[in-house]
Amino acid sequence: MDVLTSMKISSSALSANKKRLGAISSNIANAQTTQTQEGGPYRRKVVVFESRPVQENFSETLENEINRKSESVRVKDVVSLNEPPHLKYEPSHPHANKDGYVAYPKVNVMTEMADLISAQRSYEANISAFKTSKSMALKSLEIGK
Amino acid sequence: MELNDKTLKSLAASLNMRQMRQEIIASNVANSETPDYKSKRLDFEEALARAIDLDKSQAMKTSDEKHYNVGGGGFKSLSPQVYEDPNGDIGVDGNTVDRDKEMAKMAENKILFDASIQLFNKKMGLLKYILNSEK
Repeated sequence: MDVLTSMKISSSALSANKKRLGAISSNIANAQTTQTQEGGPYRRKVVVFESRPVQENFSETLENEINRKSESVRVKDVVSLNEPPHLKYEPSHPHANKDGYVAYPKVNVMTEMADLISAQRSYEANISAFKTSKSMALKSLEIGK
Repeated sequence: MELNDKTLKSLAASLNMRQMRQEIIASNVANSETPDYKSKRLDFEEALARAIDLDKSQAMKTSDEKHYNVGGGGFKSLSPQVYEDPNGDIGVDGNTVDRDKEMAKMAENKILFDASIQLFNKKMGLLKYILNSEK
């Protein structure tokens, strides 16, 4: 276990949170999108996080030596949720169905904003962890100077 | 003064342990929102205290190098304990990480790490002074 692995772990979290931010931005941008390329209204995207034991080099993977207890994180999947759309009565809308209802995406902008703030806090915390690891590594180089 | 005495060995051991702890804390912070991830802890204080054994109260006599080094300053077999925190509050998604607690632990660990580095440097400085004092 060393401090460079800590930096890898923190940076994996930074990437994961960036992807999460991408999904949130996509949701907010498309909150009113009634028609997509696949047909139907926009479907809300959600990221699924997964933890993975850190494997430093190939020989460790080869011998299946997972004795490190620390785990990095990654985005396992970006899922488009299959929730029933929110129907609004707008007969004059070009995308209205035969009953005059338009299908809007089931995206609650408030929920997305809360998730956005959560992602930002998580990102900041991991930056802080990264800085601490880096500082520890640099300080060790100063021994005996 | 011995060149590799207990002080240096215990300081080096604590530096190692704190780096390992930093890795575990980084792992917890990175996975603070991963479903079903359980918060981990790393303890080394007890093992280090046993290894240092300041008053030789735990030393057992060994007559062969294959005898296990029980107490009395055995730094070779010093290994930390990594385990899942049993006191974690389980969130809705099965995650037990309290991110603020982890950040606080990280700050404490860093401060003590810096302190160990400073002590190490002071000891090195002392040795250098002694070596240079013949001039």
